[in-house]
Amino acid sequence: RLAYSLSDEVLEHVFSFIQSDKDRNVVSAVCKSWYEIERWCRRKIFVGNCYAVSPKMVIRRFPQVRSIELKGKPHFADFNLVPDGWGGYVLPWITEMAGAYPWLDEIRLKRMVVTDESLELIAKSFKDFKVLVLASCEGFSTDGLAAIAASCKNLRELDLRESEVDDSSVHWLSHFPETYTSMVSLNISCLGSGEVSFSALERLVSRCPNLRSLKLNRAVPLDKTANILRLAPQLVEFSTCTYSAELRSDVFSNLAGAFSNCNELRSLSGFWDVVPDYLPAIYSVCSRLTSLNLSYATIQSPDLIKLVSHCPSLQRLLVLDYIEDNGLEALASNCKDLQELRVFPSDPFDAEPNASLTEQGLVAVSLGCPKLQSVLYFCRRMSNAALVTIAKNRPNLTRFRLCIIEPNTADYLTGEPFDVGFGAIVEHCKDLIRLSLSGLLTDCVFEYIGKYAKKLEMLSVAFAGDSDLGLHHVLSGCESLRKLEIRDCPFGDKALLTNAAKLETMRSLWMSSCSVSFEACKLLSQKMPRLNVEVIDERGPPDSRPKNCTVDKLYIYRSVAGPRFDMPPFVWTKDEDLALRLSP
Amino acid sequence: MCMELQLGLALPGSDTWSRPLLKLSLYEDINVNSKKRGFDHGYLEDEFSAASFKNYEKGLVGWPPVETWRRKKLRCQVHNHMTAAENGYCGGRASNSTYVKVKMEGVVIARKIDISIHQSFEKLTTTLMTMFDIFSHFPFIFGSVDENRRSFKLTYQDKEGDWLIAEDVPWR
Repeated sequence: RLAYSLSDEVLEHVFSFIQSDKDRNVVSAVCKSWYEIERWCRRKIFVGNCYAVSPKMVIRRFPQVRSIELKGKPHFADFNLVPDGWGGYVLPWITEMAGAYPWLDEIRLKRMVVTDESLELIAKSFKDFKVLVLASCEGFSTDGLAAIAASCKNLRELDLRESEVDDSSVHWLSHFPETYTSMVSLNISCLGSGEVSFSALERLVSRCPNLRSLKLNRAVPLDKTANILRLAPQLVEFSTCTYSAELRSDVFSNLAGAFSNCNELRSLSGFWDVVPDYLPAIYSVCSRLTSLNLSYATIQSPDLIKLVSHCPSLQRLLVLDYIEDNGLEALASNCKDLQELRVFPSDPFDAEPNASLTEQGLVAVSLGCPKLQSVLYFCRRMSNAALVTIAKNRPNLTRFRLCIIEPNTADYLTGEPFDVGFGAIVEHCKDLIRLSLSGLLTDCVFEYIGKYAKKLEMLSVAFAGDSDLGLHHVLSGCESLRKLEIRDCPFGDKALLTNAAKLETMRSLWMSSCSVSFEACKLLSQKMPRLNVEVIDERGPPDSRPKNCTVDKLYIYRSVAGPRFDMPPFVWTKDEDLALRLSP
Repeated sequence: MCMELQLGLALPGSDTWSRPLLKLSLYEDINVNSKKRGFDHGYLEDEFSAASFKNYEKGLVGWPPVETWRRKKLRCQVHNHMTAAENGYCGGRASNSTYVKVKMEGVVIARKIDISIHQSFEKLTTTLMTMFDIFSHFPFIFGSVDENRRSFKLTYQDKEGDWLIAEDVPWR
């Protein structure tokens, strides 16, 4: 038997080729010795819900982690549905890891509350710190950034995408010492105008030869953009910051010249306030562009069509509805490599269309782009026929998110709900992992989803369904479901309690403005000790209202860490023990 | 500053605006959730005005699902008269452009037009007529845009809801 056992070193070497968490989890379940070897050599941890496990538990099992990714608030926090102060604080994690993982070099956070104190602790504790990604985070200022800049000599990546940063008027960029040269990726597009010193930025860019990705904020004017590009012609990703002004030929030719040197450029974004006359300045790089984010550019369809026709290699396009149906038709005929399309509404709160964008545009792209996999589409009208066409022509879709802006909108041709249309999507697109529904929908659509969407991992539902049966279909049918988020649907206690066990197989369930009672929440919580059932209600104690009163918001997630200790006063659980409520 | 100005375009000889009308609304989107929209109330076939108020009358938080940061960034664009002091996201630019929303009865799509690049009512009317492709909407019109321009009258609706002839007011 000994002849068949491999030494620990060999096993560890073999395991080092196994990167995916899923595979590593399987490996660690084979036998005790594999579990032990694996846990000592796991270097990367992903925690999809920071409250699902405690930092101490992670450290105990995996003592030599180098890279960690944590996610905090539920996705609907992006749309203001989660009140401030709900949670998602990173400091307890940083505090524990500071002692346990001195060689930690990567921290990636999403929707977490990060304080200057946390950033200072990171700067102080991790000697070889390389990567800091703060996606949709908040709670910190440029003071914290200054600490990172000053201390992290080997920092390669600083990405603040979509975070909210308070301006403390510290010229934090100048805190990078003159000897610092390792920047590879810098994303500060979320910063306000006062927070970036342009001369410090120029000096930084000029001394970092490995810089590949640079995303600046809007305050950098057009003429300075050219300077930056000339200092970093090796850029692969760049976010422009154009300044609204009439065309000046000297600025234009300077900019065009700068772009023409950028042979590695593959991804462009930014384009704030871009004046269409400046767009030809980027034509020299367009043929190589694979990713284009024009979702802040208020340019109209004719200019968009011209631009897109210069980009045959495009794989990813983000754009406003100004592109219109005819723009999408042009996209379909020019960009045969397109894999991802996102069309955002230029005027989301206007019930009237702002641009001539309908379901036709999406149909055109789905017919013309054979590699299309990922769609996010805001529009004001849709038909079942269009959805069926899309489904049949693009069975390779993996992400399909449709937002018909006005809730409960019916098929504009037939007046019917979109059950059949979305049913076709889940039936034909067998690899669909993400789906967002909208428009008029009955329980029928959920029956289709439960029946066909076997690989679906994330489902978003709003203003849909008739009864608990809808929710029941999804919870009982969708085998791969991990995240379910629901708002304004008539789903209640019955479906939830019947499918309690299912909830432990998922990361989380969000339900707001539905029909769930506090009694059911308490019952569920008692039945399922490894679920945290949080009622978010700012109106006061749910117990103080009549029994049939429904809760405002409900967030249920599985956890091996038990109830959390940092709940704010508006989060209610079955435990009435107020001693559990400590301030963060 | 939030001006509510609505302009309308009508064929002469039409009594009480029963003919197709071009409507212009000037609004400033300083507060996205603000109820200030330049849509008329009793004026048009009310499917427009009723629909346009629906969204925030319902008080829908977080709908449509556009991320807060994206809304903030879009809000800074185009919409005029914002200084750096008012809104830190907008940088130091001072913009002179004045975008006005234009709607035409019977046409689903509204358009936006920059009033400041026009120097007179005539030029504005001409642009609007071309933009809305009046020849396809009014098949009984012959001749060029210029020839027909005089057939159209620009009107606007002030804050009190009264309809006034635009040419009576000097062009700023």
